Amino acid sequence: MIEIKNVTKYYGNKGLGLYKASAKINKGEIVGILGENGSGKTTLLKAIMGLTELEEGEVLIEGKPPYQMYNKMAFITEEGSYFPWMTPYEYGVFLSDFIPSFNLELYMKLLNFFEIDPHKKIRAFSTGQRSKLEISAGFSKGAQYILMDEPFRGNDMFTRRDFLKLLISSLKQDETILISTHIIEDIENFIDRAIILRHGRIKADIYIDDIRKDNKSLAAVMMDITEYQEDRYKGIFK
Amino acid sequence: MLDFSDIHLNNKDPVYIQISHYVKRQILLKKAVSGDELPSRRELAALLNINPNTVQKAYKLMEQEGFVITHGNQGSFIWVNDCIYSKIEDELTRGMVAEFVKSAKEINLPFKRVIELITELWDE
Repeated sequence: MIEIKNVTKYYGNKGLGLYKASAKINKGEIVGILGENGSGKTTLLKAIMGLTELEEGEVLIEGKPPYQMYNKMAFITEEGSYFPWMTPYEYGVFLSDFIPSFNLELYMKLLNFFEIDPHKKIRAFSTGQRSKLEISAGFSKGAQYILMDEPFRGNDMFTRRDFLKLLISSLKQDETILISTHIIEDIENFIDRAIILRHGRIKADIYIDDIRKDNKSLAAVMMDITEYQEDRYKGIFK
Repeated sequence: MLDFSDIHLNNKDPVYIQISHYVKRQILLKKAVSGDELPSRRELAALLNINPNTVQKAYKLMEQEGFVITHGNQGSFIWVNDCIYSKIEDELTRGMVAEFVKSAKEINLPFKRVIELITELWDE
């Protein structure tokens, strides 16, 4: 279980990252972290990974602080390539030295599947290729908690579909998954639950089946929360 | 193995209910009969791009409704007798006609006109 307790994060004078965010995520749940750009999605994931200092509150994974749980967690993010001078192959060897559960064979198969050259420097890759590299590494860690920050960025529709199929097939059981994205179409039939952020606050925390039983759609709930005005465009043509 | 390749998921109904409905429809059409095996939870999840928890929920619902049985590790199978078949038939046909009646009422079609149209279109 992931417990997010009253988490507040400011970015100096750049403003609010998160404000008093709380949620409990049960083991085995697949959760979408949704919201516009700048709503706090990445900050929330970094807070759960323990990668950012908090002004207030705490995150506990199975009752422990995140840094004690690193070997059970994977964070897939395009800025996660901290080793641009390595090749994907070297990166894989490095990860298997660090993480006992790392499956190098699966990692190499995934690189091949995504047509990533294992012997080219990571710094020479495009955004889409980097995210494929991070996905390959993340899926091969055998992690219990998989956090993904905009894994679809820079990838086309078919890659997004492949990605979901690979993710689903790589699950053993009971993995807890958090995916941040603003493309809800691809994942709304995949996630159990949606946490919707706006201006650093958790505005909704809902189960997809419950929304649908109330004859509502996720898109409509998102529109309500982001106060989207359908006829705003008309102002331009007055 | 029960074929799920022509199921189309919408984004209105809970996915586990859509799966159960699809299987009932296959049973009604006799495309699924007693003894047919269902894909494993993970296979079906990957095929439909949904999560394995959802497939688990669907299988559980179908077990509760009595037309799927799961034998430990051997997998899940369709199980239908006359009683269950007529229950499914009744549910699906009523559901379909109820939906039609609802849309007819929405555009204020009188009962008589509906019957006339059905009579006319039935043999086309």
